[in-house]
Amino acid sequence: MKNPKPPELARHRRERLWMMLQLLPVFSVLTILFGGALVLAVLQSLGFAPWFGVNTFPDFSYFGALWGSYSFWQSLALTLYYALMATFISLVMGVLLALAMVRMFPGKSLYKYLYKLPLMIPYTVGIALAVIMLGNGGMLSRLAAFAGLISDPSEFPQILKTHYGWGIIAVYVWKQAPFVTLTIYAVLLGVGRETEEAATILGASRWQTFFQVTLPQILPGIVSSTLIIFAFNIGAFEAPFILGGGYPDTLPVVAWRYFNDADYTLQLQGMATVVSIALIASGILFTYLALYRRYERRIGRN
Amino acid sequence: MTKVQLKGVRKDFGAFTAIENIDLEIASGELVALLGPSGCGKTTTLRMISGLEVPSFGSILFDDKDVSEVPVQDRNVGMVFQRYALFPHMSVEKNVAFGLKVRGTPRPEIEERLQEILDVVQLNEFRHRFPAQLSGGQMQRVAIARTLITKPSVLMMDEPLANLDTKLRGEMRRFIRALQKRLGITTIFVTHDQVEAMELADRVAVIFDGHLAQYDAPDALYQRPNSIKIADFMGATNIFTAKVDASGQAQTSFTTLKLGPDEIGQGSRNASVILRSEVIDLLLTAEEAPADNTFAGVVTAREFFGATVNYSVTCGDEKIIVTEQSRRLVEIGQQVWLNIQPDRIWLIPEAA
Ligand SMILES: Nc1ncnc2c1ncn2[C@@H]1O[C@H](COP(=O)(O)OP(=O)(O)O)[C@@H](O)[C@H]1O
Ligand SMILES: [Mg+2]
Repeated sequence: MKNPKPPELARHRRERLWMMLQLLPVFSVLTILFGGALVLAVLQSLGFAPWFGVNTFPDFSYFGALWGSYSFWQSLALTLYYALMATFISLVMGVLLALAMVRMFPGKSLYKYLYKLPLMIPYTVGIALAVIMLGNGGMLSRLAAFAGLISDPSEFPQILKTHYGWGIIAVYVWKQAPFVTLTIYAVLLGVGRETEEAATILGASRWQTFFQVTLPQILPGIVSSTLIIFAFNIGAFEAPFILGGGYPDTLPVVAWRYFNDADYTLQLQGMATVVSIALIASGILFTYLALYRRYERRIGRN
Repeated sequence: MTKVQLKGVRKDFGAFTAIENIDLEIASGELVALLGPSGCGKTTTLRMISGLEVPSFGSILFDDKDVSEVPVQDRNVGMVFQRYALFPHMSVEKNVAFGLKVRGTPRPEIEERLQEILDVVQLNEFRHRFPAQLSGGQMQRVAIARTLITKPSVLMMDEPLANLDTKLRGEMRRFIRALQKRLGITTIFVTHDQVEAMELADRVAVIFDGHLAQYDAPDALYQRPNSIKIADFMGATNIFTAKVDASGQAQTSFTTLKLGPDEIGQGSRNASVILRSEVIDLLLTAEEAPADNTFAGVVTAREFFGATVNYSVTCGDEKIIVTEQSRRLVEIGQQVWLNIQPDRIWLIPEAA
């Protein structure tokens, strides 16, 4: 191979430098906002907080205290349960709705606008709606009593404020199923109906067509949308705080309680909780992505 | 081997009628081409035969049995889609074996038939590749193999050659024809290319705007089109209005032509005459020409295609295209005489 001539090399260098300069603003924002915050959080959780007059860095006692307590594991289980349940239900509903959307049905054009509504309404409004609708003495209980299904609204089964978390899951699903629908619908439009039709003509049943032809093709959309909603669900705070069943709380609520404690040294304990959430969430998401990558390679995608 | 019939089939998409009252009968083992311009309803017709669309009216019969109620999965038809519709996440062999796998065929039999069909379409060395790693012609052969392995009773192909380059198209044409003859499978294939339709098909169904315009053998369609529109679509260039009298003479603006014996004694009428460019003789002197149906003109343009050459000859106010083997080249501006034999002239009555 011939060496590039010096003037060309110089031009090449100049271009690279110019590109770096152009990217600098983005990089600095990313580094300061995300990297900086993360580093600070980790430092604090390891006992570095001179602004509180605490500096025992490196000190693993906060993590030790956290991970050593039984309630931490209870909280973790609860957090994962809400997040996974909501993600799974949103995924199934979202995919079913998206599949319906690429077919013809009466009222489709109206529905195409309706289903996006929850996406534009904030979570807090959704939580308020859940309280109004699902609580004892809420709309549903009154309706049930009115219809004679139960004799008094207070007999309505407890949906909110239990550790089954149906209220929390309902709010997540209400907001996230449309998001999954939106994502998968776009993917389905790109995939088109032809491979499904080809499979049907070749003799495949509806199930076979879905699981062997449609699902593998929408998998990238499923992975990215579940990744996003699961990451949100595991770190979300308002819904479990308002609609949850009290002690043991989910991890984000536990962290919030530490931060709000009059004893400000507990802030460090809170930071350890936050860092734990981040570690667990990224561990799960990383494993998920790695498994998906392995599948993709197996079917020959690079 | 299955006979396919369409009886009064019509398809509406909302207020739009894509197919209007089509009657078509395809004999067992026949290869029929659906020919027509883009958007005339060819794909819609195929989709109705396969069961992907339900006709708004009329019925579709396989071997005289109405299949309207038979679901797509159970019709045992095969379809090669225009854009192949291969499963992108499956290797070639998985694509091809799909139809047998979903039918629950035993594993050893799948292996055996897979090997057999991959040999037929010559894709053995590509069996582990994915569709994205194949060329157009290879993808097409995968699509054909995937369909044939299920032994369909009717094979349908939607513009199977449209996406291939010229050389490959010729190869695939011969391949499809040979395969169809060998398997004797009733085949319907869609094209907008009249040359392709004529080369491949036993019979050609010409569709215009959802109507079946003519259904005939290729030579009949080419030589005896029943309307000007079909003549035009089949590539006829010299179409002129004429007054035909009872003695079998056609009076055009540039000459009077004597017609074949079939046209004598039918009364006088207005009609269109079609002079196919390749049956006109181009002569350089008047002496060597027969007395009948010879008229003078001047060569005004020449198009050279290699094996053949087209001359535009101006006769009176009309321009006549003459096609010749390019054994000689006549210069532009040359005075020439054109001759056509009476029985080679095709007449279309005015109404058509
Ligand atoms: N699902 C559909 N909805 C509405 N119109 C359609 C649909 N499918 C086809 N058409 C219309 O029917 C006509 C025939 O289409 P098609 O059969 O695909 O034509 P082609 O002969 O090019 O294959 C076209 O005008 C097309 O726009
Ligand atoms: Mg078409």
